[in-house]
Amino acid sequence: MTRAAPGRPRSLGASLLDQVLAETVDPAYAQAAAARAARAAVSAPEPGSPPPGRPSWIRRRRGQGLVALTFALAGLLASVTYEEAASGAQGREEVRDALRQDIRQGTDRVDDLSAQLEQLTAEVNRTRDEALAASAIGQRALEQLATAEREAALLPVSGPGLEVTLGNAPAAADSDPIGGSEEVAQAGVVQDSDVQQVVNALWSSGAEAVSINDQRLGPTTAVRQAGGAILVDFQPVSSPYEIRAIGDPGTLANRFLSTPEASFVADLTRLYGVVFDFARADELQLPGATGPELRNAQPLDPAGDPPAADTPDSTTDGG
Amino acid sequence: MIPILGLAVGVVLGLVLDPSVPLWLQPYLPIAVVAALDAVFGGIRARFDGIFDAKVFVVSFVSNVVVAALIVFLGDQLGVGAQLSTAVVVVLGIRIFGNAAAIRRHLFRA
Repeated sequence: MTRAAPGRPRSLGASLLDQVLAETVDPAYAQAAAARAARAAVSAPEPGSPPPGRPSWIRRRRGQGLVALTFALAGLLASVTYEEAASGAQGREEVRDALRQDIRQGTDRVDDLSAQLEQLTAEVNRTRDEALAASAIGQRALEQLATAEREAALLPVSGPGLEVTLGNAPAAADSDPIGGSEEVAQAGVVQDSDVQQVVNALWSSGAEAVSINDQRLGPTTAVRQAGGAILVDFQPVSSPYEIRAIGDPGTLANRFLSTPEASFVADLTRLYGVVFDFARADELQLPGATGPELRNAQPLDPAGDPPAADTPDSTTDGG
Repeated sequence: MIPILGLAVGVVLGLVLDPSVPLWLQPYLPIAVVAALDAVFGGIRARFDGIFDAKVFVVSFVSNVVVAALIVFLGDQLGVGAQLSTAVVVVLGIRIFGNAAAIRRHLFRA
């Protein structure tokens, strides 16, 4: 045991550390050894007579058995703990795999249903167009419908425009992808409000049609956040967000850059490293938006009478 | 020789039987293993020092395991379980290292 130099005060922490570092073997061993030595010294003078109590070989044999038993216990404890830890890790991996599988299946199902919906909508539209084209009043309705659909952003459009890219701040080159600082990473993440600001600035700059990552924005399309993911029309989109706007590229760019929203996003870039880029494009292809649910319908009156009052709709599913 | 055999038997028993540990006991198993390791290393060192005593070894083993688990249990009840486990692991870890170094000196004279 190291002793403090005389006259030098030791702090409590230092002496505690000294004790922990020096007293690695249980002092009871030394005591037991001393006691044994004392017993031996007492019984030594008469070597011929048997020692009192049980003979020493029984005591030794019993001690060995106990030690073996204790070691067996230690081995059991270690192996059981190892098994527990291993099975825990395995269980977590299994659960994670199952969840991944679920996500994949869910995504596939959504894709299937979306494709099916698209196909059925096309079929309905075709049938409707055929039915309407048969009569004069139907053709007039068809024209009105085409205008309405164009204004409701249901039809794909193409033309020159502006392409704005917003993206999460790229990870610093030396940052740890797993243990990196959450705080820093969070600050550089694009929020739904940032995307909303850019979209609003584009609309106010005279954009005729806007899409985010090939999701066309219709009159009722919401850009919002749900649990860290940005949803456009209830479909998740991920960074980088490519916001395409159709309009005259020159005016669109000039007006967009002078909006307060654009300088807000530029500030985000300066402060948090958010990616913000824009480019004029000569030819942009924007898909059609998903149409709103059909909530109200009325039969077309062939006689040309003013149509009856709106019938409360029967196709709404819980609207 | 017999203790090593006992250790092997224990390990094999644990792996073969694979006893299910009650859920409330599971958090204390790792700390109990560290405490057991400390007692085992202390025993081996005492053996090399020539002062080994079976009774002391058995008692220190059992009390080490129980006390370590108990401290962590108490800490869990008080809301400082993680910190107390760290404390136990640090202290026992230092002791294991010291004993391992002493054993090494005995074995290799270095």
